[in-house]
Amino acid sequence: METPWLVSRRGILAAFTGLAAISAASGAKARAALRFGLTPVFLDNDWQLLERLSAHIEESTGLGIEYVQRRTYKEVVALLLLGEIDAAWLCGYPLLQYPNRLEAVAIPLWQGRPLYRSYLITADDRTVEDFAVLRGDVHAYSDPDSNSGHLVTVARLLELGERPEQFFARTFFTFGHRNVVRAVARRLARSGSVDGYVYDALAATEPELLARTRVVWRSEWHGFPPVVVGSEARGTRAEALLLRALFDITQTEAGREVLRMLQLDGFVPPQPDSFDSIARLMRLVSERG
Amino acid sequence: MRLPLAMPLSLRVPLLVAGLMVLMGIVASQLVLSALNRAQVRQLTDLAEIEFRALSTSLGPYVQRDDIWEMFDILDRATLREGSFRPISAALVDARGRVMVSSLPEAHPIGSNGAGLVEEAIRLDDIRFDAASERIAVRNTVVWQGRPLGQLVIDFDVQEFAAERRRALFSLLLGNAAAILILSVAGYALMRRVLAPVRRLTREMEQPGGTPQPIAEALIPARDAELAQLYHNYNGLILAVQARTATERRLAERERYVSLGRLAGGLAHEINNPLGGLLNTVDTIRTYPDRPDVVRDSAELLERGLKHLRDVSRTTLDMHRNDDGASPEKVQLALQDFDDLHLLIRPEIERKAQILDWRIEADGSCCKGLPAGSVRQIALNLLLNAAAVTGPGGKLGLRVKPDGDSLCLCVWDAGPGFSDSVKPRLLSDEPVEPGGGLGLRVVRDLVKSLGGTIDLGRSVHGQNEVRVRLPLRGRHV
Repeated sequence: METPWLVSRRGILAAFTGLAAISAASGAKARAALRFGLTPVFLDNDWQLLERLSAHIEESTGLGIEYVQRRTYKEVVALLLLGEIDAAWLCGYPLLQYPNRLEAVAIPLWQGRPLYRSYLITADDRTVEDFAVLRGDVHAYSDPDSNSGHLVTVARLLELGERPEQFFARTFFTFGHRNVVRAVARRLARSGSVDGYVYDALAATEPELLARTRVVWRSEWHGFPPVVVGSEARGTRAEALLLRALFDITQTEAGREVLRMLQLDGFVPPQPDSFDSIARLMRLVSERG
Repeated sequence: MRLPLAMPLSLRVPLLVAGLMVLMGIVASQLVLSALNRAQVRQLTDLAEIEFRALSTSLGPYVQRDDIWEMFDILDRATLREGSFRPISAALVDARGRVMVSSLPEAHPIGSNGAGLVEEAIRLDDIRFDAASERIAVRNTVVWQGRPLGQLVIDFDVQEFAAERRRALFSLLLGNAAAILILSVAGYALMRRVLAPVRRLTREMEQPGGTPQPIAEALIPARDAELAQLYHNYNGLILAVQARTATERRLAERERYVSLGRLAGGLAHEINNPLGGLLNTVDTIRTYPDRPDVVRDSAELLERGLKHLRDVSRTTLDMHRNDDGASPEKVQLALQDFDDLHLLIRPEIERKAQILDWRIEADGSCCKGLPAGSVRQIALNLLLNAAAVTGPGGKLGLRVKPDGDSLCLCVWDAGPGFSDSVKPRLLSDEPVEPGGGLGLRVVRDLVKSLGGTIDLGRSVHGQNEVRVRLPLRGRHV
């Protein structure tokens, strides 16, 4: 089977790190490299994708790129806050946790819009008419700091008047949206919270995995996980070059290939209200009694 | 197993070899299979230990952090590996007997009871391998940083091991079968070859209708001393039998002449008696040639005398011709033959002044199909014997009577009866001891050739009697 392009962010970060190591070791590049953070929560490892992204950025800006992978959003955010990395592809939730230190600079377009939503999935052979049926499940989340893979479900339960920590018999984090799908498909978990974009993308790459699951609930639309820069990198030339490369991603062959692999349409600057819906969920959670 | 004795040696020996081979094959196969089993168990144990060590090391930190996904991922990946000895499934069970995680969550969900899994699994340090099983469940404690974290149960795929054992068994069976077949066929061929001279000997001895002949010197295997000795012994036996037969034939011939000689004495007397009267008659004719009545009476007397002589000579000639074996079967027995016999025996009887009781109670039809020569010889020999054993003036007799489908010849005499040394001549086929005549043995041979029987008994007057029963062939048909 062909390696799926989009599965979890973990792998991509691994590949990014690997490439960075190769770049550093070679010492061939005289230009300052942009350090870019990734987690496998969102994208699966695919060195071909990252190689093409590097190729595109280098081709369009002359900027070298260094990928830094960590397992969780928290770790990547920590690196951003420490200035260890210049930019990262994060979820809106961790972004909003540090409004003064992090800033979204570009949002991908999925199906023509910079929006996505969360799915609640369960086994394909299970009849679920109501959210309440999921009570007592072993439930799989993707990352504690993931909007679609955690926050949305927790907020929803609160909206329903449930106590999230008691609603499910057992919960665990897989640190990858694809892993959530795997956990449900393999019946390790009876239900799971997953990024709708990742889930739909899997339909093209791993239909047999998807066939063993079904979506029982879809959330409202939220701002798509953005490219975020730390305050230290704000206004730097590297940032400007990165943004140019992202907004012009359709201009190179490598860039178009990256979009095809990611099943995205391009990147646009974020709007001030892009992540308001996520902020609302965060308030809901933080204000719970 | 007991081989049937009727089975030929050339089959029995290869079958015995095959049987021993089967026995040896079973024992050898058992040894090989048990050695293979031990080797496989050792190998299984080694591989399982490696697997448990690797998985325990990987799982340890995640078990400690209760990272279900990573635990599952590790176990799941382990079961996806290829190889002859791979985990089919694996499960981690905590100290309370609950499943922490399993690579088959559908069968063993998180939190379900896993005590059964642990109980059914065998300990890592006590791996046993049942040839029939295609998987074995093994358990061991996962220890991380000195702390026991739970029981890891791995279901290993041992199909390859079972298949290897089956292949070994199959090879052994095939090899043994081939060896047994080859050795059996070779054994059969060898035995056929070894026994060929014996078979030739058997064939020689079994020649239908013919007399066994000595085996030619060229055919005697010179290289095999034992067989050569056997052949020589056989030849010696055949030659001895032939010599004995020739001797008996010569003795029989002599006996015939002896009996003829004895007859000839009687005949001479028979001829001599009338000769004096006949010569006197001739003198009478010479003396009274002119007396026709005397001449006529003398001529009649001469005619009677000469007719008597003619009868005597014809009877003797007939006897002689039949004795020569001139197709005795062609001349059938008639009552006239008994008259002839009477004529022949009478001189001997008269010579000894014995009394002969002559009773022919059969009619002509009773003699149908019997050869005249043989019957006459039988009766004559018995009568001569009776006359010999009966003293002067003694009584003897012949009685011929029909007896069902047989003709019974009974010869009795007032003699002392047959001694034990003489009886076998008449009643058995035992070789004739030298020193006696062969008349009685000739009787036995003739009776036997006619399909008849001989019994000894007592006559109505209490004398010793020889009874010869000869089946009438014509009546049989």
